[in-house]
Amino acid sequence: MTLVNPEFAEELEKFGIDKTLDCFNCGTCAAICPLIYEHFPRKMIRYAQIGAKDRILENYEDLWRCLHCGLCIETCPREADPGDLILGLRRFVIDNWRRA
Amino acid sequence: MEDEDKAKETTSGQKVGVYVCHCGGNISDHVDVGKVCENIKNVPGVVSVRNNMFMCSDPGQEMIMEDLKNGTIDRVVVASCAPSLHETTFRNAISRAGGNPYIYEHANIREQVSWVHHGDNATEKASRLVAAAAAKAKGLQPLEAFRVDARKHATVIGGGIAGLRAAKDLADRGIEVVLIEKSPFLGGWTAKWDHVFPTGDNASDLIMELAPQVLNDPTITVYNCARVTSFEGFVGNFKLGFKTQSPEKGEYEDEIKKMIESGKKPGEFIPFVGVSPSSGIPDASEEHTVQTGAIILATGFRPYTPRTGEFGYGKFQEVITLPELIRIIAENRENEPDDTLKVNGRDIKSIAMIHCVGSRQIPGIHEEDEDKPLNQYCSRTCCSAVLHAANMIRETHPKTHIYDFYRDIRTYGRGQEELYEDASKNKVVFFRFEAQDSPVVAKNSGPGDHPLLVTVKDTLTFGEEIQAPADLVVLAVGMEPNNVSDLVEMMKISEGVDKFLLEVHPKLRPVEVAVSGILLAGTCQAPFDIGEACAAASGAAVKTSALLGRGYVELDPFVAEVDLNKCKGTGACVEACLNKGALTLVEMEINGETVKRAQVNPATCSGCGACTAVCPERAINVKGWTLKQYEDMVDMIVADRIAA
Repeated sequence: MTLVNPEFAEELEKFGIDKTLDCFNCGTCAAICPLIYEHFPRKMIRYAQIGAKDRILENYEDLWRCLHCGLCIETCPREADPGDLILGLRRFVIDNWRRA
Repeated sequence: MEDEDKAKETTSGQKVGVYVCHCGGNISDHVDVGKVCENIKNVPGVVSVRNNMFMCSDPGQEMIMEDLKNGTIDRVVVASCAPSLHETTFRNAISRAGGNPYIYEHANIREQVSWVHHGDNATEKASRLVAAAAAKAKGLQPLEAFRVDARKHATVIGGGIAGLRAAKDLADRGIEVVLIEKSPFLGGWTAKWDHVFPTGDNASDLIMELAPQVLNDPTITVYNCARVTSFEGFVGNFKLGFKTQSPEKGEYEDEIKKMIESGKKPGEFIPFVGVSPSSGIPDASEEHTVQTGAIILATGFRPYTPRTGEFGYGKFQEVITLPELIRIIAENRENEPDDTLKVNGRDIKSIAMIHCVGSRQIPGIHEEDEDKPLNQYCSRTCCSAVLHAANMIRETHPKTHIYDFYRDIRTYGRGQEELYEDASKNKVVFFRFEAQDSPVVAKNSGPGDHPLLVTVKDTLTFGEEIQAPADLVVLAVGMEPNNVSDLVEMMKISEGVDKFLLEVHPKLRPVEVAVSGILLAGTCQAPFDIGEACAAASGAAVKTSALLGRGYVELDPFVAEVDLNKCKGTGACVEACLNKGALTLVEMEINGETVKRAQVNPATCSGCGACTAVCPERAINVKGWTLKQYEDMVDMIVADRIAA
């Protein structure tokens, strides 16, 4: 059970991310991602959208799998820059590291 | 002399030409067309049997025209697809060859044979059907479509946006119009909106552009508080009775109160009510009759009313419908600008909007009423309306968060996908649910001071359960047709299983119903947005102008005909007649004696044949479909010589 936190998208702006809610969950990023790892990066983006901080912190390791190849940024139909969001989430995780 | 020859030729009916179509294999893959042709050659009267890959093609039609022109044949049978597809095609070919289009008979050997039977059985059935058609064709007489005068007058029922549009368009074509509106006000549901998607136009501006044009047009007479009471007649000559009376106690109470409070005069727009015509609200009831050439139904829709408890509606005061929210948004605009939307002085920090309420209902999942079918259709307009409202709120009240719960987003029209994109830019958070896992609205006993908690199994989060605390829950209710069962009954028109009125052809004749002279405009037919409703209304107006513009209408000649040599005036036919007034007993002089005999009014006769079935003297027949012809057909169907 996750409680929605609508403030989280604003919180992420501090980490350089302002397109969290641009994503419409099509899954193109997960399909093109060379990692072929579960639903990466789509699932992380979704957690960011609904403000599921705990889920992001629990699964922080996934964020460091990203190869920065940029394919998801190139193919995203909403130009939501999924790769950049992953980078921003890393900054968020580091910032929350000791508190987590 | 020439005319006499021709008459002799066309009444003889001894030279039947039969043309069998392969339909590019659709027929000939299962029916042995060559064998059918062989079998048909033995049918009495058949002088020519030919076949073609596509009879409907130009070369196919040429075959018929050639045989007619050189006098080889004088009756035509085409065996092909369903007559609804190409009967008219072949009648026209006969006309072009100088023949009477009614010397034609159609045999359906595709839908009734090759698509449902195979092998020898298919060939045998095809042979029998074609033989029967040939036998019937022998008895065909040339007929003339007859003309009746048509009044250049139309009646529009319903004074919403579609009714107003249709009335004005008709008046612009010089057709006199009576507009009948049930409520005291013009404008319908459009008058109850605020800014409308996708353009953001003010709904009141739309009404105020159209309503004064209607009210000021001398060719349009508007009756409000009016209900249709009777209907008779036929295209070009309908007679419609209606009654105007002051609203009953409780009816339109809020609207009338708002009108008085607003101090607005007739012709002026009253927000969320509409426009009162100059006649105001009638004090006494009055009966009216109008002679009219055509009727346009613009009876509109009503928003779905959620059941008590459906998403908490009726149980929690914080659960409202989208039309209610739209009113709140408009009323808030009059207040000081505020970062947070306020409802009854309460700060609304989060709104949960739920799509598809009362639309796309699924048997077994959604609760069913005994007296009402489930609304299985998509109401089409709600997705865009919800997103438009969400954007307005986010843009004016940035501290009010919005959660959008959808099954599918269907923002299908021009400028509507942009609403969905804008909603994302405006940071609306979307959740997606399956019909069987609809969001549950409950009292919030958890965190924050939000009164409600919406729980959903969110497919966007891979089926995880998500909870959203909400200060307001908005239900995007769908559209239901207004209940017009009285008109449906009176006018003998069809409604679909969804209770929306049914057009005669969904693609090629989308604004006409099966009864000639009655047309559809707007949301009585299907969920439409304002632009689509006006497009349908203008379409109906054009069709009406075309129908009435010539001053006469042509009617099918397939009507009953009395053989005065046989009629004994028993009156059995008059009793059996289903169309009041189509058959009467009249006095006439025969052999110096005054007797009563049956007489047909061809304008009202629908050609149903109920009279033919009951006449003890076999004195009445439907033209083109006589008893004798039926007997000939049956003889052929059972004849030994046709067997394959």
